[in-house]
Amino acid sequence: MDDLKGKVAIVGIGEVPSGRFPEREPIVSAVASARQAIIDAGIKKEEIDAVIPTAALWSPQYNTELVCCRIVEELGLCGKARMNFQVFSGGSSCCNMLKTAAGLILLGLARSVLCVHSDRLGTGVTGQGGIDLFSTAGISKEWEAPYGLHYSAIAGLITQRYVYETGTTEEQLASVCVSNRKWAELNPNAMFRKPLTIEEVMASKMLSTPLRAKESNVLADGGAAFLVTSAERARKLTDRPVYLLGEGSRVTHFALSQEPDMTRFAWAEAAEEAYRKAGLSPEDIDVAEIYDSYPVFQLIGLEELGFCKRGEAGAFVYAGNTWPGGKLPMTTNGGMLSQGHTGAGGGVALMVEAARQLMGKAGERQVSGARFAVVTATGGTYMDSYVTILGTEIP
Amino acid sequence: MNTPEKPVPPVNSWTAPYWEAARKGKLIIQKCRDCQKYIFYPRMSCPFCFSDRIEWVQSSGRGTVYTYTIVRNNAPSAFLADMPYVVAVVRLEEGVQMMTNVVGCAPEEVHCDMPVEVIFEKLTEEITLPKFKPVKK
Repeated sequence: MDDLKGKVAIVGIGEVPSGRFPEREPIVSAVASARQAIIDAGIKKEEIDAVIPTAALWSPQYNTELVCCRIVEELGLCGKARMNFQVFSGGSSCCNMLKTAAGLILLGLARSVLCVHSDRLGTGVTGQGGIDLFSTAGISKEWEAPYGLHYSAIAGLITQRYVYETGTTEEQLASVCVSNRKWAELNPNAMFRKPLTIEEVMASKMLSTPLRAKESNVLADGGAAFLVTSAERARKLTDRPVYLLGEGSRVTHFALSQEPDMTRFAWAEAAEEAYRKAGLSPEDIDVAEIYDSYPVFQLIGLEELGFCKRGEAGAFVYAGNTWPGGKLPMTTNGGMLSQGHTGAGGGVALMVEAARQLMGKAGERQVSGARFAVVTATGGTYMDSYVTILGTEIP
Repeated sequence: MNTPEKPVPPVNSWTAPYWEAARKGKLIIQKCRDCQKYIFYPRMSCPFCFSDRIEWVQSSGRGTVYTYTIVRNNAPSAFLADMPYVVAVVRLEEGVQMMTNVVGCAPEEVHCDMPVEVIFEKLTEEITLPKFKPVKK
């Protein structure tokens, strides 16, 4: 398991803007993202022998099209692609897609693997419909749904205990949203690009205490793709392959109530594994693409991945360390809080952003000289902790 | 607008004793006869040692609030009329954790590590939900 290091690389990325696009069919987002990734990689599409679409939540019919090889057909790979199948674990799908792609390539079962996502959660479900969808998705029908649990309440529960144990202030939590927005202002694919202040976050409607409306992600339409191939092939395609250097993960629970420590989850264990495999430590990381969806997760991520001491992440973000130009650029696409939450795509967008930064293609928000990036992702009710380390060099 | 029905938990063979006890105002949890650990929510076999020698025992019904949230806006449709309501994770004296509601006090009075005890609220003829209220000093 440890010999994944430097064996495969991301060589192409694609993405369409996130937001509300009623005229844009999700298959268009999928194919446009996939096409961009292939062109970006500079390979012949016929080199792709495996297509891994992750799942879309918006419509079972659309999801079945993804299962039934529509992307293969749209890309003209019929008779050439050797496999098309879904990999899906909610928000952590991106990490499982990359691991699966790496496994196929290392075993010689595929040469190049296209990982793709698209969904229509922005215009496909209405406001209350979205809340209702996320009062059942991943929530135990027997032991949790009868008590009125839903995703804002989940974030409220986790934030409350985190604040209780660490003394993190409301302003510090709000500053995470501001940090993400500062990056989104520089991201043409982000849903929300207008400057945001701590005061505006604090003045927004209370959802589930202590979580406010502007501390909650907004559902969006979107699509993104990344192309994975062997390190050997990657070096022929580009002088900046984005190598998979290390990964670590743990599944912690199904029902949130079964999580013994909601202020930590298993990020420390997953990170230790990933750093060890990569031969790197937190000081080596240039960009931290920390999965958000709600601000508390970025604070927990900063602490458990070793960037801050326990209880100090709030002050670290508040001081501007994670902003553009800061010591540790964090969630540089704006995250789900600003780029928009496209379902499983929230994580895919972070994986694509990490690769984009390392490839030096992040435009106005490029972190200069970025060599190593960490990506975190989690699915469902924060049911798993995934840490992936990418780099343009093999340390 | 009609308020949708509250979600009703499905009952199956290994959870039926739990719901039957709740209907009678008792909170029972599982205990493994082999490794002696307490188990909640009810399982088909012990999640610790994989034994299927599981028994039901009465819980003290007392515990503390591990964490909570007051739902003030944007609740699921079936719960809109209940706002504000308190969702909480309670850690029972036996060490197991359960999702629940804290009732019987103003939402603002709830806090982490607050001592609570079980009460029962009827949902349907078949289902009664264990909930928690503050322990009176």
